[in-house]
Amino acid sequence: MADKEATVFIVDVGRSMGEKSNGREETNLDWCMHYIWEKITTTVLKGRKSDIMLVMGLRTDETNHNVSARISEDPSYSNLTVFQPFSQFLMPTLRDLREKIKPSNTNEGDAIWAVVLAIQMILLQCKKLKYIKKIILVTDGTGELDPDHDLENIAKKLKEEKIQLVIVGVDFDSPEYGFEEKNKSPKKLENEETLKQLAEDSDGAFGTMAEAIAEMVTPEGKITRPISSYKGELTLGDADKYDSAMRIPVERYPRVMIARPATATKFTVRSNVGPGEGSTQSSATVPQEDADGDVEMGDAGGGLAAIKNARTYQIEDKNAAGGKRDVESGDLAKGYSYGRTAVFINESERNITDLETQIGLEIVGFVDASKFDRYMELSRASMIIPSKTNEKGAMAFSSFVHALWESDTYAIARFVAKSTGGRNKPPVLLLVAPSIDSNEFECLVDVELPYAEDIRQYKFPPLDKVVTVSGKNPAQHRFLPNDDLLQSMSDYVDRMDLSTFGENDEGGPGEYAPMGEVYSPVLHRINQVIKWRAVHPNEEIPPVPEILTKYSQPPEDLLAQAKSSLEKAIKAGGVKRVPPKQKGRKRAHDTEKPLSGIDVDALLGSSKRTKISAENAVPEFKQMLATTEDVKTIREATKQMAEIVKNFVRHSLGDRDYGRAVEALNVMRSELTELEEPGLYNEMLRDLKKRMFAGELGGERKEMWWKIRANRLGLIDKKLSLVSDVSEQDAKAFLSAK
Amino acid sequence: MASADNPYLHDGDADDEDDEDLDETGYKTVKDAVIFAIEVSKSMLDPENHRPMSKGDGATLAALKCAYRVMQQRIISHPNDMVGILLFGTEQSKFSSGGDAGSNDLAYPHCYLLTDLDVPEARDVKQLRDLVEDPEEASKLLVPSKEPASMANVLFCVNQTFTTKAPNFSSRRVFLVTDNDNPHPNDKNLRSSAIVRAKDLYDLGVIVDLFPILPGSGYFDQSTFYDDIVYSTNPADPEATAPLSSSSNISGRADGISLLESLMSSINSKITPKRALFSLPFEIGPGLRIGVKGYIPIKRQEPAKSCYVWVGGENEKPQIAFGSTTQMAEDTARVVTKEEIRKAFNFGGEQVLFTPEELAAIRNFGDPVIRIMGFKPLSMLPIWANTRAPYFMYPSETDFIGSTRVFSALQQKLLKDNKMGLAWFIPRRNATPTLAALVPGAEKKGESGEQVVPPGIWIHPLPFADDIRQNPETTVVHAPGDLVALMRKVIGQLQLPKGVYDPLNYPNPALQWFYRILQAIALDEDTPETAEDKTTPKYRQIDKRSGDFTKDWGEQLEEDFQVWQKRQGRGGKRSVDVEDGPPKKRAVKVKGETMEDDEMKTHFERNTISKLTVPVLKEWASGHSIPIHGKKADIVEGVQRYFEKK
Repeated sequence: MADKEATVFIVDVGRSMGEKSNGREETNLDWCMHYIWEKITTTVLKGRKSDIMLVMGLRTDETNHNVSARISEDPSYSNLTVFQPFSQFLMPTLRDLREKIKPSNTNEGDAIWAVVLAIQMILLQCKKLKYIKKIILVTDGTGELDPDHDLENIAKKLKEEKIQLVIVGVDFDSPEYGFEEKNKSPKKLENEETLKQLAEDSDGAFGTMAEAIAEMVTPEGKITRPISSYKGELTLGDADKYDSAMRIPVERYPRVMIARPATATKFTVRSNVGPGEGSTQSSATVPQEDADGDVEMGDAGGGLAAIKNARTYQIEDKNAAGGKRDVESGDLAKGYSYGRTAVFINESERNITDLETQIGLEIVGFVDASKFDRYMELSRASMIIPSKTNEKGAMAFSSFVHALWESDTYAIARFVAKSTGGRNKPPVLLLVAPSIDSNEFECLVDVELPYAEDIRQYKFPPLDKVVTVSGKNPAQHRFLPNDDLLQSMSDYVDRMDLSTFGENDEGGPGEYAPMGEVYSPVLHRINQVIKWRAVHPNEEIPPVPEILTKYSQPPEDLLAQAKSSLEKAIKAGGVKRVPPKQKGRKRAHDTEKPLSGIDVDALLGSSKRTKISAENAVPEFKQMLATTEDVKTIREATKQMAEIVKNFVRHSLGDRDYGRAVEALNVMRSELTELEEPGLYNEMLRDLKKRMFAGELGGERKEMWWKIRANRLGLIDKKLSLVSDVSEQDAKAFLSAK
Repeated sequence: MASADNPYLHDGDADDEDDEDLDETGYKTVKDAVIFAIEVSKSMLDPENHRPMSKGDGATLAALKCAYRVMQQRIISHPNDMVGILLFGTEQSKFSSGGDAGSNDLAYPHCYLLTDLDVPEARDVKQLRDLVEDPEEASKLLVPSKEPASMANVLFCVNQTFTTKAPNFSSRRVFLVTDNDNPHPNDKNLRSSAIVRAKDLYDLGVIVDLFPILPGSGYFDQSTFYDDIVYSTNPADPEATAPLSSSSNISGRADGISLLESLMSSINSKITPKRALFSLPFEIGPGLRIGVKGYIPIKRQEPAKSCYVWVGGENEKPQIAFGSTTQMAEDTARVVTKEEIRKAFNFGGEQVLFTPEELAAIRNFGDPVIRIMGFKPLSMLPIWANTRAPYFMYPSETDFIGSTRVFSALQQKLLKDNKMGLAWFIPRRNATPTLAALVPGAEKKGESGEQVVPPGIWIHPLPFADDIRQNPETTVVHAPGDLVALMRKVIGQLQLPKGVYDPLNYPNPALQWFYRILQAIALDEDTPETAEDKTTPKYRQIDKRSGDFTKDWGEQLEEDFQVWQKRQGRGGKRSVDVEDGPPKKRAVKVKGETMEDDEMKTHFERNTISKLTVPVLKEWASGHSIPIHGKKADIVEGVQRYFEKK
């Protein structure tokens, strides 16, 4: 949990804010509100009760703020209105605010008095408590400012109270951003100077609105207060048994933690709404409570009801219809499957399967950093630091970090963490590496390592040489790159070097796309559209900000440098795309042979296969098709298979033979697609479906149909085979009909 | 049986939106069925035949022991996969498949289906164990027939077992263990029909993996018979690279590796069906696209999730109960159909709605691809830049002819120059795009030349700025050089063998324990007392090898720390928590121990009071007349105010 935040927005709504300046098509106020809404909705999205906001209108027609009687009577504070007092902002707040923020009919009201009022309100609200305090003032700078302001003291107060003042102005001049308003009135120029002075003196920020809006697309870094995953000792040796054991008090924190995008929850339209009404409701925000009075934002037709899951349990029962029966939850015990055996564990022995362990971080041994293979890193990384209040421990820790660093060594450690459930977590082995950064921050970084069971021994042929079936070891082979390809690829890699293509902090050449500057596209896209939709319920979703897709393509300037080597590599590579139709198609008569190359068909004799047996259906069907191109034979084979499938279904006890039927259908579907005879399959499947639903295949066979759907064995459509006369929609409709 | 078969759990079209782990669960549910076909013959049974290496086991028994280990392993690693064991050449015959009442044991003479193909049951494990551990049991069953079994029969028996018990399995394999390279030397017909039955298996999609045992005399010549039985993966192309399985004879070796271990290692290398997680275009540059397949060769193996077991039957055995979920509206408990479900985001206490089309568009960042942005030196990949286990990619010619050579050129270049690629990576439709480091991997071989790590390129998805946490506040006290030098001596003493971490030396202790206990319960045996845990440090060795150095270091630390304290202008005693040297029994910190005022003050100054536990806070607060009721935040506030006032 990060610190609490209190933010005051001062929004200038004076008459001049209703004008359109500088060739923009929206009013200055509308333009500024992009910025304000972004700030407000970002906070709302976090959903934290401790983040409170207040919105004050500047140059409002009326005066309305209830800080104290003295202030209310003071004319300095006139034409200021609190639109929303300090609170956690929720959707109704936003709706309400949207109604209230409109250009007024006056230009009276003093921006600096508004800041002074904001300071008092913050202090009143936050007292001495720990808050991150901020005042954001948005104005066009044309209003009258009292010449007698004690700017020095205001700035001093802001600094004292650690309140950050951010002033963003409509068309304010900004040499850094490169903006200067032409024909600026002397009054605005003077006001800008005054406000800038105040911001600078109070260590605040001052800028022009165009820049603020341009910067909005850069996601704000989220500060997360670190939560330790371990507080204990880093040990070498057994301190209980040996006096030579080393123990250093340490703490462990996440170094990398994937920030997940917001997830949508499932709702259903409330049942008191007709189905038609509910489903047309496309884009809206929906208040949670029906009673929620005047809803202006969004089309809140019916409201949504949350969805809950109800679980029921079944067991297999050969005697029950469908082979399954429901069981009472009272008859269920916690357990595990050991193979297909059900093992249940009595409540009293609940933890019997947990290995007993002691919490700790123990060094097992050391390895050469240079020999470590990166693919062993199995998890996100954590960091280990010395215990915060122990300086001697910190020195001991430092010597350990530096010793690893200097000897180019990593430690392997056994780590057992405390689990929230009371039991310890299972032991993991960690790779522990030293990390010393440029600011002399020292720590250890760890990642989990695999155990023996975690390794799957996949084998692949070497890439730099080829051994053929015949045992030859050719220097040239179509799988091996020739010298041209090696050379052009090498040039291409060298020219596409990103290590100096970016910019470092000093503006010199630096790493391109360093991890700290690349933002998660999905995370921020979802946040963007939620915030947008909350404020603009009836508008189209805005496009993806460029910053989120910047790294989906190689940088163009760099590509231009590498163009010639890339072209050479393309030429030398000679890669050809396989036309989709040919993929995997074995040519007829070109049947597979065993290693020896013997012609198996010849062994079968000249008699071609004409009959398919049920027991060996799949091979025999394939063999029958493989020896013919005659449509009559294909039709005959399909017919025989169809009979076999029907018999499987007809004679199946429960779902016993459904698997074999599905397999046969699967083989038919792919073979007939390849032979470009989709019609034969489609005809067969229509007949099968008709018979199944007519109850001709041994009664109710719904589950078989479900299996056909689940295995996607529907009609062969035009997308799959050009010669099919079934459209995609028809195929879908056929499959979903029950 | 498996939950994937439950019609209520998923509908025809999968709803695979925003589920990050979906790909990997799908990956795991690829079903695999393996039949061990083990020959029983005089030479296979004779322990003398495979001396000096076989340590008393005949080849058949060694193969059965392998099967027994594999069965136990697969219960752990692939709980939904099937195993069957077929003995052939036995005097007895046994066959039952398909569950028909009158199964015909004599359909396949001299074929004995020891374990029918299925997900193993505790009973199967026990039966197999009894067989391999009890010579008497073995001698009853392992009797060679007078005439050899017909290989055609063996192969068709395998065919029928797969056909009836494992239809639709994406991977079906038979592991054939024999020392006879010429089963039908004088019978052309038997030989021909075996070849035809092998073709049937091929057409059925069953892969025959041959594990030839070096016969007592001479050499197992695969070309005599088995080259007509075994199919290469790419038969149409004589130039194709040889399958890695190109079977070398399995035998014990002079260096004492037993036949069993040697067989085990060759079976182990094949036991996991190689199954690609994705097949993607790999765009090395605009206009240079090749095809690759992705795998996850390293993945944490977790113990089985607990489930519900039905124990309601008086005389029935416990059964796994399968749950199914019905979704209903919370207000009316009305069952909701998929069409009625809307997805909304919580925002400001309400829901923000999008149409399904909008939601799909929002998440869509283009087609699945691995697209190179450019290249960086490997040194720009810090060790912490890791989010998960990496993917492994290898070229595939399926979609793009020529992929292999282009991939090879790139991989060789990256290896040579220690570079990595930086890529935009979307592994499958709707997956969250990430940037990934493409790290080249060289082929690694074991001692006997077998591949240990395949050559290819590893894909490491990188953390985004949003995922990288800030450094927590800490105390940095730099250690002087002499102290570091002493620690280096300690480290130098405790290198693991060859200075590398070999995961194969470390079985997961918790996982092994879990399944040992389950097995014991399933077989109704006593549970073991202690677990074997190879991850426990070797304390005695640590003391012996580095103990003296550690003590030197400890003394130096005392000295250096005092010097440091003096320099800091503090000679005073501070709590010393680092222990080493003579065992002063350390006071174990207990909860509720009173915290010193200055320590609390340090916390206040660093703004870390809220990180203290409630008992510590309460203890301290009550000693300073600060109210201790209310929430933690209230006490923290109270403590903060205490110091603020001071």
